[in-house]
Order: sequence, then C-alpha cells, then structure tokens
Amino acid sequence: MDTVTDTTAAHARDDEHWLREYAREHVPHLLVIALFAVYPPIYGLLLRTPLSAEANAFLPGTTFLIAMLFLGLFAMSFDFISGYTGYLSFGHAAFYGVGAYFIVLVANGDVPGIPAGTPFVITMIVGGLLAFGLALAIGAVSFRLSGVYFAMITLGFAQVAYELVRNWNYVAVNPQDGPTLSGPTPEIGIPYVDSVSIALGRLAGDSFENVLGLGIDISATLTSYYAIGAVVLLSYFAMQRLIHSPFGRVMIAIRENEERAAAIGYNVFWYKMVAFGFSAFFAAIAGALFAAFSRGASPDETFYFLVTADALIVTIVGGIGTLAGPFFGTAFYEWLEDILSSEQGGLAPYLRGILPDGVLTADIAGITIADLINTVVDGRAPLFLGIVFVLFVLFVPNGLLGSVRDRLGNTVGKYVGGRLERYRR
Amino acid sequence: MSLLELTDVHTYYGESHILQGVDLAVEESEIVALIGRNGVGKTTTLRSILQLTPPREGTVRFKGEDVTGDSTHDVAGRGIGWVPEERRMFGYLTVEENVRVAVPPEADFEAEREYVFDLFPDLERFREKEARNLSGGQQQMLAIARGMVGNNDLLLVDEPSEGLAPLIVEQVVDALREASAETTLVLVEQNFPLAMDLADRFYLLDHGTVVESGATDGVTADDDRIRRYLSA
Repeated sequence: MDTVTDTTAAHARDDEHWLREYAREHVPHLLVIALFAVYPPIYGLLLRTPLSAEANAFLPGTTFLIAMLFLGLFAMSFDFISGYTGYLSFGHAAFYGVGAYFIVLVANGDVPGIPAGTPFVITMIVGGLLAFGLALAIGAVSFRLSGVYFAMITLGFAQVAYELVRNWNYVAVNPQDGPTLSGPTPEIGIPYVDSVSIALGRLAGDSFENVLGLGIDISATLTSYYAIGAVVLLSYFAMQRLIHSPFGRVMIAIRENEERAAAIGYNVFWYKMVAFGFSAFFAAIAGALFAAFSRGASPDETFYFLVTADALIVTIVGGIGTLAGPFFGTAFYEWLEDILSSEQGGLAPYLRGILPDGVLTADIAGITIADLINTVVDGRAPLFLGIVFVLFVLFVPNGLLGSVRDRLGNTVGKYVGGRLERYRR
Repeated sequence: MSLLELTDVHTYYGESHILQGVDLAVEESEIVALIGRNGVGKTTTLRSILQLTPPREGTVRFKGEDVTGDSTHDVAGRGIGWVPEERRMFGYLTVEENVRVAVPPEADFEAEREYVFDLFPDLERFREKEARNLSGGQQQMLAIARGMVGNNDLLLVDEPSEGLAPLIVEQVVDALREASAETTLVLVEQNFPLAMDLADRFYLLDHGTVVESGATDGVTADDDRIRRYLSA
C-alpha cells in the first residue's frame, strides 16, 4: 500500500467539511437504496416487454421483496449481537416472536392497559422495549457462559417461549396456529396524524394511483414495501451508528479479545447485556413488521428455532460481522426461493413454457423431463440453499460482503469514498 | 507501602494447582522481571494480579488496597495496564481505534494519541490500517502503546520479545524503557539477558513459587542459583 498518499489523504480529510466526507462514505448506501426504490417500477415495466417471461421467472416479485425487508432486518439484528460481540444468539427468534405477537395482541385489545386503537408505530416500539427487557433477563443468566454454551442456553430459553405461546390459550383461540390481527390495518407514519400514515397489507393497505401525475400506480402491496422499507432503513442506520460509536468499538473489542477488553477497564458484562438488548429491540421491530404485513403470527413462523437458523444461514452467506451483509444474504435467499418456487413466476413454469413438448415428454431412465422439473426444481429452494450454504462455508467463509471488504481492505463506504476523493482532485 | 504486593497467592486452573504460594512486592517506578522456565506460573501470576484467573487463596494488594476477588475491569480501572502475550490485538479495529478504545472516556484522547504516535511514528503512518494487517513488530508496538495510554501506574508486560526479529526487539526494548519513565513495569520474559538488562530486580519462579529474587546487577545465566532453575 502506498503509505505516503495515504497520510496526505488523511490530512486532507481532516480539513474537509465533515458533511461532505459523510456523504461520500454513504454513496454505496444511496446506490443500494436507489436500487430498491426503483426496482418495482422497472420490474413492472419489464413485465410488459417481450422479456416478461424471463423477468417473471428470474426476478423477485414484490411479495418476496417485502419478506426480504423484514427478514433482512431480523438477520441484521442477529448479526448485531452475534457478529459484533461474538456471542451467537441462537434464541433470537424469541425476540422476533415477542415483537410479532405483541402488536397483534395489542391490536386485538388483548393487552391490559394498552387500548386496541394504539397506533402501530407506538406498539411496535413498546414491543421492541419489551424485547429489550426480555434480553436483559435472558442475558443476566446466559452471559455467565460463553461460546457454544451461550448459544445453547439462549436456544433453550427460546424453545421454552415457543412451547409457552404454542399452548397458551390467552394468545389465541387456537394457540398452535397463533393469533390473527382483527383490528384495523396497521399504519406506518407519524402516530395520530392521518395524512402522514400509510396503511400496510397485501390487499387492505393504502394504494396510490397516478402518483404526481406521472401515470405511476402504486398498489397496496407496493405501498407496504416502501413503508416497511423506510422502517428497515431507519433501523439499519441506527444499528450502524451504534456500531461506529465508542460503544460499538467495545463490542468489537469483546469479540476480538474479551479478557483484554476487561483488562482495559470495560465492564464487559454490561456492554454485552446492552448490546443484546439493542439487537433484541430490532429483532422485535422486524417481527412487528412481519405480523403487521401478514395480519397475524404463528409460533412456527416466529418463536421457532428454525427462524433463527434462517437468520444464521443468511448471515453466513452475506458475511458475519458486516451488518449489511446479512441483508444481502437475505435478498439472495429470497431471490433463490422466488426462482425455485412457482408462487410468483419462477423457473419451473418458465421451463415448462419454453421447452417444446417433445423435450418435456422425453424419457430419461424412466422419468420424463417434465417430471424431473417438478421434482428437482419446483419448490426446492431449501435444498439448493443448503447446497449454496455448504459451498459458501467451504469457499467463501467470509460471506458476500465480508469477502468484498477483505478484497478492498476496508468497508465499501470508506473505499468508494476514498476513490471519489481522488477523482475530485 | 509497596505499589503491588502478592501474599501467599494460590491459583488453580480447574484442579491444577499452578501458583503455590507466590509472594512478591513491586515498588513504585521500578522494573521487575519475572523469569523461569515454561509453565512455572509467570503468566498466571500476571493473570492473578488482574483477577482474570482469581486466586483461591492469598491476597493481591494494589496501592495498599486488597483487590483479590474484584472484577477485572475494576482492578484495571485502578491503574493497571496489560500487554498480553502473543500481542492479542483487536484485529478488526484500526490502529487508531485500538488506541482510542484503550483511552478512558474521561481522559483527553487527542493528547494521548499524540503521545503514543510521537513515541511510535510507525503507528501513526498506519493509523487507518486494521491491526491484523500489521507486522509482528508493529503489533507489539501497538500492544505496548495501548498499555501506556490511560494513565496506568503499573504495566504488566507478557513476553514482549517473543517471536520478534532482533532488530525489532531493540525497538521494543526502547519503547519499554520509554514507558518505564512514566509507569512501573512488571515484565515476564524468556530472554534472560534481555530481562537482566532491562529490569532493576528479578523474581525467579519454579513450580509455582518464588525461589530466588534480588537485584539484577551483575547476575548472569552462569550464576549457580540461576542455572539450576533455567537450564533444562
């Protein structure tokens, strides 16, 4: 590395206005945000071109995009504690579940002291604080252990919560299926101000026609996509801010060498507790968004340990300890799932449509190509994801974003910022 | 009153009885070397002082106060710094962040940073580099620099010369001399001539107890009472 230019650049940065430096380091963020913002209309346009079959088969549809958002936020909250302090929170699903169940129960008027009409944004935050408290309670016991024992004890706590909600008649008439949201549609925006609140939901949410007279229609699902996206974005920046604060540096110090951090004089126990609390808070926000959009929650989609396992897998694929990486990992996962399922387009119907009948009915060793497609491709996302996961662990152990950072020798934001700095001169 | 005083310290790892009654005292602004063969309890002594492995019996007194059984961050907060063996950096933090994390919130970070970067110009050049990408010698400099910031009255240094090229060792020794002007040093060192050169007094450990101690002046490895314990 050329150290001379490095130091001059560093000195130049000292003199520069902090706002400009800040903006430059956020160029990659802006690009990603812009991509997610313009993707749906472009996808809509592509569906009206001759390429519609390909677009439908290979690009993710809006339903998957929304799942990408709240599951991505959940994965980032998992990475916040697991990737930055090194304590694998295998019970993270419990916090996701608390957020999800809480907003449904409040909306149904089942929580004493909180009226059913309380705005969603408020109940979402209260649910987050509840998860924060739960994390402190679980952490008080679990942080006496480390390594695999910490992972196991948090998993144990989450399984207890799972069994509890699955059999607790208070949460739903049929607790095994979980509660459904019966109140009005949850709204994201400023509480009590109707004009700046947007209703969520697949069919029942707000929709906008002919936006700004540009002939763009935004469906209810798409409206939810943008509203949920805004919350996820805010949460991401909040977590990013924490990680780049002195608090975050201590979290990384704990991950790198906990004894050393304690020997500097940091009370590592409380740093871990508070970090765990924050990560639980954002996991609960993700759960609340999920429940609001799906108008309900079930134990198997929230408190179950496989929900945590999904977060772990996308975190490894995206890059553990990179915060944004797990989000990209989730995007990759959802994209793969979209291609391999036939819920919204997908590869299987595409192949059936494009291959001539003669090929489809051709017989290979007793089965036809059409059967092969049905068996191997359609709805087989988990199988392929498993293979992809194994390949990542073997060949890309740092994950997508982790490998990019290693290659650049810095975070993408700092790297791009440095590059732009040179062009400016 | 000594700055640091260990009285009949017994420390265990699980069931293994490592320190079997260590007594030692360190006076203000001296350099004390702990020497002895591998596995005699030198590092464990440092860990017992910091309460990373709390002693089961005996007392550790720092500035006259009994700190036995306190939590590590409390003991460290009283003014003890640690330069662990194998350097143990916070690898994913940059050089500057490594220094910053070691500066207590109430201290003046700018002043502390200037102080260590004056002492180690190499570190300033690499201040934006992640610590894991530094060379072994640079990492050791950073580890010592980190121990020196934050107004520590006592610095525990574990194997500072381990695995370093002779030229780099000289730089490290210079850095330690520089550090000793400000704080008291307790040094664990395998390199006997280096330890004798640097330290004012020494404690020789064997089987978890102090077997010899005294001033380092004129002591050589050929000395009978030393050779008995150091040669294999």
